[in-house]
Amino acid sequence: MKLTDLEYLKLPKWRRALIKIAQFFISIPKAFLNLFVKIGQFFKKAGLAIGREIKDIVLTFKNGDWKTRISYVIMGFGNITRGQILRGLLFLLFEGVFLFFMFKPTGGLYWLSMLPSLGKEGPGKAYDPVYDTYVTAYHDNSFQILLYGVLTIFFIIAFIFTWRLNVKQNKLAQQILDSGKKLKSGKDDLRSMVDDNFHKTLLALPLTGIVVFTVMPIVFMILVAFTNYDGTHDGYSNALFTWVGLDNFNTMLGIGSGTKVYAATFGEILLWTLVWAFFATFTNYFLGMLVAMMINKKGIQFKKFWRTVLVMTIAIPQFISLLYVSKMFAQNGMVNQFLQSIGVLKGLDYIHFLDEATPARISVILINIWIGIPYLMLIATGILMNIPQDLYESAKIDGASGWKQYTKITLPYMLFITGPYLLTSFIGNMNNFNVIYLLTGGGPTNSAASTAAGSAGYTDLLITWLFKITTGAESQYYFASVIGILVFMIVAAISLIVYNLMPSVKNEEDFQ
Amino acid sequence: MKKLIALVLAVAMVLSLAACGGNKDNTTAAPQPGTTTEAPKPADTTPAPGTASPLAGTYQIKVWAPEAAVELTKKQINDFNSSNADGIKFEATVEAVSEADAGTNVITDVDAAGDLYFFAQDQFARLVLAGGLAQLGQGAGTIVKETNDAGAVAAASVGEDLYAYPLTADNGYFMYYDKSAVDAAHLGSLEDLIADCEASNKYFAMELENSAWYAISFFFGAGCVSEWTTDNDGKFIAVNDDINSDKGLIGAKGLQKLVTSKSHIESSDVGEFSKGAAIVVSGPWAYNDAKNILGDNLGAAELPSFTVDGQSYHMGNFSGYKLLGVKPTTDAARSASLHKLAQYLTSEAGQLERFQAIAWGPANKAAQDNAEVKANPSLAALAAQAPYSKVQGNIPGTWWDIGKVIATDIKDAADEAGLKGALESYNTKIQNVLKIDTTGFILVGAWNDWKNDDEAYRMEAKDGAFMFTLEVPQSDYMGGRIVVPGDWGTDRGCLIVTEGVDLLDQVGDPNNGDNNIVFKEAGTYVITYNEAANTITIVKK
Repeated sequence: MKLTDLEYLKLPKWRRALIKIAQFFISIPKAFLNLFVKIGQFFKKAGLAIGREIKDIVLTFKNGDWKTRISYVIMGFGNITRGQILRGLLFLLFEGVFLFFMFKPTGGLYWLSMLPSLGKEGPGKAYDPVYDTYVTAYHDNSFQILLYGVLTIFFIIAFIFTWRLNVKQNKLAQQILDSGKKLKSGKDDLRSMVDDNFHKTLLALPLTGIVVFTVMPIVFMILVAFTNYDGTHDGYSNALFTWVGLDNFNTMLGIGSGTKVYAATFGEILLWTLVWAFFATFTNYFLGMLVAMMINKKGIQFKKFWRTVLVMTIAIPQFISLLYVSKMFAQNGMVNQFLQSIGVLKGLDYIHFLDEATPARISVILINIWIGIPYLMLIATGILMNIPQDLYESAKIDGASGWKQYTKITLPYMLFITGPYLLTSFIGNMNNFNVIYLLTGGGPTNSAASTAAGSAGYTDLLITWLFKITTGAESQYYFASVIGILVFMIVAAISLIVYNLMPSVKNEEDFQ
Repeated sequence: MKKLIALVLAVAMVLSLAACGGNKDNTTAAPQPGTTTEAPKPADTTPAPGTASPLAGTYQIKVWAPEAAVELTKKQINDFNSSNADGIKFEATVEAVSEADAGTNVITDVDAAGDLYFFAQDQFARLVLAGGLAQLGQGAGTIVKETNDAGAVAAASVGEDLYAYPLTADNGYFMYYDKSAVDAAHLGSLEDLIADCEASNKYFAMELENSAWYAISFFFGAGCVSEWTTDNDGKFIAVNDDINSDKGLIGAKGLQKLVTSKSHIESSDVGEFSKGAAIVVSGPWAYNDAKNILGDNLGAAELPSFTVDGQSYHMGNFSGYKLLGVKPTTDAARSASLHKLAQYLTSEAGQLERFQAIAWGPANKAAQDNAEVKANPSLAALAAQAPYSKVQGNIPGTWWDIGKVIATDIKDAADEAGLKGALESYNTKIQNVLKIDTTGFILVGAWNDWKNDDEAYRMEAKDGAFMFTLEVPQSDYMGGRIVVPGDWGTDRGCLIVTEGVDLLDQVGDPNNGDNNIVFKEAGTYVITYNEAANTITIVKK
């Protein structure tokens, strides 16, 4: 249904709201479609780029002189013979290190050859009659094979990249010499590292750090999801682990004929995680804003005092206050005992704050408000003070009510500035381990989920369930990894869609 | 100058990344496969002069002991160094690791675990499966069997083999009570105690919804059993559990009385005495803390009886043990020396010393007869409870998760049908621990291109066994295995072939634990798989 602006504005308010909501939902499949189109385009581009590279490599070989051609095998040869000794030696050194790593015993080739099987021989136990004792003989280590296998693959990629660079340099050097210009010397190279190539010098370390400490572990963890790595297959001291394909995903998502208890548990926890993240984010957001507005209001006394009182909750480490609060709301905790002593509750009656499914879920959301409001209040205070007062003044002159001013001035301004914050805090809340684990430990126990590894409870989020799975009875690391991947996919999808719908992104110029 | 600052910042950023990634790095510190099988380095075992023992030498070891036992263990290791006849010297670092977490920590990284570690019995089965425990030699095994009580030996055994040294026999529970709040005449009856607590607004603390270990008390009281059997590798193959029965229903009714009472709180912490509890069900380890709170008002008694349909049942308990484990090593001399130390630490003298210092009840028979041990009030209460207790055997880790839910289900049950439902759901879950799926099994292998969900090769159930007539075509590798549909699990016991072994080329692959059966020649075979006994028979047609 297409409407012109005029038609749209003529409609009654509720229909306009409905249309807006409908448009949001209509735009979701489109957003997904866009995503897939973009992914497709990316792969197409990448394919074309690789094709171009290969063509260039072949052409360089065809057109190159003997120095260039030898450089295809001995890296840096061209550089050295053309006088760029430093560059050449670096290339040569890299090639040397690479070849040494690949061909040394239990080196790159060993790891690569073991990667498809993740080890052939598990540990064995033998009786030693002389000492009257059992000794263990350890053999292959699946964990290391996986880890070093990944490392080797990264190293190979780095080598291919460097080799390509080496070929490119030869081509470039040839061109420069042909045109009669001089090549850069080692000294020039060094100087350029702090001059026109300074950005590369700066980024070299962080980039290596990110690849080694972030990207590689992530790749490794993702691969774990496709193995049977758990407490009884630790790959070294009890039994090897091996590839199992998509089995773990099938079990977790209930595909195929296996047990359905994981899928049911996953579904239930995912739903609660989303509900929790929604409430935890928006209750904090609006109530925090409200508190900030109340404190900011003209005529309120002791502003600093109120702010200090609220900020006190930040000053106490969260895990202490949360543990304390969980004790406070226990069956024989302070709150219940107080209510008993003033006669609201008779005898040993008590309110099930944390030990029944629905009350516990409500309790954690409410307690989270108490923890979250101060942060929001601080953020909101700053932003609210920044809203130009003349907007409000002119609104007043026009006869706008307080509520109108809020919905037309304050809220759009806040949403514009804190849109990205809202998104990150929604995602943060999906992974809010602290609040849930310290308050309820995931409890009360969910009887239906007790056979799904780690026995999930009613307030467990995916992240606390993941924790229970790894530390639980069977230490099923592969399920933890599967959950990690699924959470990432869900979070990524939500982020991409919501980010593109945000006012801060859509109407970038609104408040500038 | 600006560039310099930028460079410094870049380095700082990398360092902070490195700090985050630090944990990951640790895991790569495991020894390389190439080096692990090497013989022990001579430097580790420099022979002490004047001794002939092949064990003589100095060893660097790490011991994990609970906080309370750290100092004592250090002293005992020093005593061992000066007293042993073999010239073994240990340079030990003793780290405080709770016996309740030791199992999890060992399983997480066996390499980094302590060479000796104290652990509670419930982790035993997991540790054996995880390769975290070294089997005892024959000499050591005989000594342990002779000197410790039968339950302790059973607790440290898998099949016939011993895998740990019993440290204590006091891992059971009984009732601590406040003498000023509880009428001594009512101690024998659960109903009276609950009524007393409700009348005086006091709490009755017992963990039921959080711990299967305590909740089982009512079912044992009603005469139920729950026993698991493992094969010699520590893998669970059978369970004898009659909680889903009329007896179990009696236990459930008893449990419901306590768990639905307003006076009941979920805790086994004697600290509850200072927060209005009159009764706390806990174990000997809490004695000193309880004494500090209640002083002379502290009483310790066996668990009470509960009454269902006019008949009374005495609540049972698990009698459990704390054990000392030795981490497997590749070096025979080191391994033998560690076992010597473990023997010393768990000997009669060692256990008595531990009792005197930190009040741990001994498992050693001679030490149990010691007059001082007999006079300890908490151990006396445990002894009074002993006739009603069941030895805690090997229990799969998941049972603890399944078992604790039963109390929650009973609490929520409105009527008898609800109680029965709770017991049934429990029963289904424990049966599922052994067999993942009840829909039968698939014969997967060369004959169906290893399709693990191939309906054409589903085994049919006949007379309690699964049967299939299999045609094996000629190929290079005429092997396969029995799996649960859609799974690759290799735990379907093909290693135990009771009939027709001579038809097979190979049973199982010792290298990677695949329980494949490989036929010698092509032909038609009738394969019968008995799931309960976990055996298969093969007959050629």
